[in-house]
Formats: sequence, structure tokens, C-alpha cells
Amino acid sequence: MKLSGAEIVIRQLEAHGVTTVFGYPGGAVLTLYDELYKASDRIHHVLTAHEQGAAHAADGYARVTGKTGVVIATSGPGATNLVTGIANAYLDSVPMVAITGNVAVPMLGRDSFQEVNIAGITNSIVKHNYVVRDIEELEETLREAFYIASSGRCGPVLVDIPKNIQSEKCEYAGKSPIPATNTPCVFDIAEIADIIARSERPLIYAGGGVIASGAQDKLLELSEKLAAPVGLSLMGLGALSSDYPLNLGLKGMHGGYASNMAAAECDLLIAAGTRFSDRATGDVGEYEKSKTIIHIDIDNAEISKNVSSNIEICGDVKDVLTQLIPKVQAKSHEKWTTRITELVKEQKKQEQGYAVPEAFSPKNIIEAVCNNFDEDTVVATDVGQHQMWTAQYYKLRKPRTLLTSGGLGAMGYGLGAAIGGCFARNKGRTVLITGDGSFGMNLNELATAVTNKLPIVIIILNNQTLGLPYQWQSMFYEQRYSQSIMNRKTDFAALAQAFGARGHRIENLKSLKEVLENLSDGIPTVIDCPIGGDELVLPMIPPGGSIKDMVVGG
Amino acid sequence: MEKFTVELLVENKYGVLNRITALYAKRGYNIDSLYVHATEDASLSRMLITSTGDDYIRIQMVKQISKLYDVRQVILMTEVKIKI
Repeated sequence: MKLSGAEIVIRQLEAHGVTTVFGYPGGAVLTLYDELYKASDRIHHVLTAHEQGAAHAADGYARVTGKTGVVIATSGPGATNLVTGIANAYLDSVPMVAITGNVAVPMLGRDSFQEVNIAGITNSIVKHNYVVRDIEELEETLREAFYIASSGRCGPVLVDIPKNIQSEKCEYAGKSPIPATNTPCVFDIAEIADIIARSERPLIYAGGGVIASGAQDKLLELSEKLAAPVGLSLMGLGALSSDYPLNLGLKGMHGGYASNMAAAECDLLIAAGTRFSDRATGDVGEYEKSKTIIHIDIDNAEISKNVSSNIEICGDVKDVLTQLIPKVQAKSHEKWTTRITELVKEQKKQEQGYAVPEAFSPKNIIEAVCNNFDEDTVVATDVGQHQMWTAQYYKLRKPRTLLTSGGLGAMGYGLGAAIGGCFARNKGRTVLITGDGSFGMNLNELATAVTNKLPIVIIILNNQTLGLPYQWQSMFYEQRYSQSIMNRKTDFAALAQAFGARGHRIENLKSLKEVLENLSDGIPTVIDCPIGGDELVLPMIPPGGSIKDMVVGG
Repeated sequence: MEKFTVELLVENKYGVLNRITALYAKRGYNIDSLYVHATEDASLSRMLITSTGDDYIRIQMVKQISKLYDVRQVILMTEVKIKI
């Protein structure tokens, strides 16, 4: 059967179970959009306000569903607008296929209208990319693209399809997707069981790999069996319920006192599905001191890249833990358990110092928001102070419920991601916690949320500053607030209404609760919450510092 | 810091050399010498890349290059092997 390139794309999307795509049309993808029009009963295309929003939406959709997110953009500016979204998916290992149009093959390399070499531009932020110069290669290229995006350590793959390739025809084989390979990891289980048996103060450090591999139950099982507390990376949040007593929560620069102290005091660190980001370790020399490190990760290049480990296990976390757990002895270590209880108690005491009861403070606002929604509600964040407060105080109970830009730290991620997350939940209630700075970056996507009747609740922690730069300038630059005080006059409630959304400005917890209890369906609601400009994210381990440098404050 | 050479077997197509040299550039490692030739199998090329670095750099480069989809095989050459 002969099909056009555009028809082959649609067939391949369907073959890979794609039902929702995000994108923005343009000259070089009109042939593809013509086929999308014809396939609109099978594939729902979500038109965003900007390609960056579409890329973040595909990312949010992928994080919630675990499926590969798909974003489509035209050549030139359409393609370059995807770059931040692709980089974000790359750094947080999110499976994504980005399809771009390009000028016709004979026009490539001539600086034609709306031509960029997007494959060259994205080389260092994709797992792999393709320029399809021959229609005969299109089917196989798309199969490989989906396979690469979702296999091993997940990530983005870009497929650039010149305009003539979309309309040319060739024989379509109709092959099914490349099956995932699951070779069990081979490692010295007895040696590791022995190291674990000898340890007196074990700590598990879990990252996004646990969620990506669906190993959350195994993580809980290991922690219970070893009576080992667990610290989480930002990407690992949700891997364990925050109700679980041994879950110490976020570890790292703005992690809790207990998890960071435990990391400094443990004699064995079992790191699972994490890459030891500098934000999680601080001073690596101090971090590695006086402990044995077992590092489990699916990406061999991450092992001993940032932190040198004593035991290296390259494999899927779920597979490794499944093999390991039956072979380790159950442990109890009263002194360590007592110490952890002390640390948690100390952390609770510190946290009380960060917020006066009933004050309209970040902690109280986030807790009020959290208490209003069930455990399946997806919460997205942007990047900055509000993101760290959310990581600290929003009680996540299930994996794949937090959408946050971890590795790239991209302000402007949140609204697009929330839109993707909302579609992944069949347009169910979705929360975005953002700041006035981040929201200002991509608030154009409010139009998308309104058009699609998405019941996204947008909480703006509005401190009139760029909070994290402000905090750093306050702590490390002798209060020289260079360009971090915005003092904008934006009326976010009126702005929301102008977009066709609901908008409120709220100044106390009681009114916040009232608004949250009376949300409308089928429409986004923006809640502008003015907070003090001098609120700090605490505790904090300064960049490159160690536990000794922790600023607790309060 | 010592010289080290990696021998690669890669897909013989455009853009592959770019992906590999970009990995060196990303970490700021200069390439001291580069040798590329087609092999008896027309779909594959062989590369020899010499650079300078310590154990950490050598291992990282081999691991990072191994992740590229156009790369079929990576061998970290030893001094002795190069002399042969």
C-alpha cells in the first residue's frame, strides 16, 4: 500500500498508541496537519499558544501517563521554540518525540525561508535525532524514534521531516512498534547483601529512575525490610508517600534537615535511579566521606560521573531491586532509628519557625492547597522559591503526580506542563503552583487552558520579586538586589478574566479556602496570593557547600 | 594527564562525526588527532580519536560515546595496542 509521508506519520502515531499530541501548525507542516485534520477522530491535536508551551505540555503528559509525549512544530522559529522544552525533557529523562517540518530537501542548507538546522541545534539535548531525507526511511525512522525515546533512560528524540517528504509516497510496510528489550541486570547480589548486612546506618536515596521504572513498591519494600530511611531527589518526589514514616522527603540544597543530616551521618548510601545532581550533593568531597555508596542506575554514564561509588550497578531499578530484596536480610538498628526520629523531630520544630500559624505564608498556602485536593491530583510547578516550597510542603502520596522542571530549572515550564497533565487526567482538576516571575514567562497558555475548558487551578505565590535570585543576593551578595525586584503592576485576576478564565486576588487563608472549595468545572482559575518579598526557602545548603554550611534560620 | 585513544566503529553517514566530536567539546577536551576511514563494510566507518585526560575523563568519554545510537563499538586503546 502506498502512503504519503504525512499519512505514514499518522499511521505510526496510531501504531504507538498516541491519542493526544500537542503542537502548532506552520508552512512546513501543513501537509502533516492536513492528515491530522482527517485523523482528528483518532488523534486529538491540542493547539497551544506557543511551541514552547506545546513541548512542555507533551512533557507533562508523558510524566503523568508514562507514555511517550508527542509535540509537532513547523520549521525555523517553530522548531527553535521547542528547544527549551526538548532540553527540559532531556535533563529530566522524559520520553518525548518531537516532530518538526522543514523546507523541502533541495532547499535544505540554502538558508531558505524559515529554515534552521534543528538537528544540529538539538544535538546535545536529545537522545538522538533524524533528518528524513528519503521517504523510504520514514517508517523505520519513526519506529526507532519511539523506541529510543522510551527505552533505557528515557528522553527526547527529534524527527525533522522536510516538506516534500510529507507529500511524497512510498510503500508502507505497517510494521508494529519495536518491542522493548528486558535483559535482566547481572550483578553480585551476594556481595551487596553482605555490605547491607554489615551496615549500621543505611540510607536509601531515590530519584526519578524509581518512578520511570515503576519501582515505587520495591522501594517501599526495601526500605521496610532494611528499616532504612529514604531521602528523595526532586525528581524522586512521589516515589514514596509522604505519609510513610521513613520517607524523609527532599534531600539536597533545599532539602529537609533530616534527610540531609541522615545523608551526612549514614554509613551506607543506596542510591537508586538518581544521578547525584550538584543540587542534591553540594560539595562532592564532603558528600562521599565515610560511607559506602551503592549506585544503581540504568545509564552507565551516570555511574561515578558526579559521585564516585563503591558498588556500581547498571540496570533498571525495578529489576535490580526485585532481584536484590529477597536476598537481603531484614534489619533493625535501634540507635540509627532513634537518631532518625530525633532528626525528624528537629526538622518539625524548625518548620514551625518558618510559618506563624494562620499567616498567609508560602508554607500555609501550599498546605491549604494540598489539603483541598485528593492524592491523585496532578500538581505542576514552575521554577524558583515556590517550586522548592512545593517540594518541601506539598504532601505527595503517589508517583507521577508532580510535574516540575528539575535538571533544566526552566521558568515558564509549569503552565504548559499542567495543560499536558490535565489532558493526561482526562481534563480532571490539576494544580499549578507558580510565582509571579515564572508565570509571566508563558502565561499565554492561559488561552489554551480556557479554549480546552481545562479546570486548572493556578496559585501564584506573588512576592513581586524573582525570589531565588533575590534570596541569593540577600545571602551572598550583601543585599544588592540587582534586577530581582520587579514591582510590576500586573493585575493577575483581571488578566485571567481577560483570557476568559476566573481570577481572584486573595489575602488570607480563609478566603483561599473558600475559593478552593467553590471552584468551577471546565474553566481555569487563577488565584493571586501576595506574599512577603523577604520569605526565604530554608533550610539551605549554599551551592558547593556541605551539611556543615546548612543555613537553618527560622 | 595522559594521551588516550579510542577506536570506534560507527555508522558511515553524515552527521556522525559531528555527534562524537560534540561530546569532546561539551566537556572541553581537545582532540589531538582524528583518523576516519570507511571499512570493508560500506555501512560502517572506523575512527581513531586521540585526546588527553585522566582515568575519569577516559572512562567518561567511553561511556558517553557508547550511548550514541550511531556508534556500534567503542574500544579504549592501550599504549601497547597502539604501538602494534
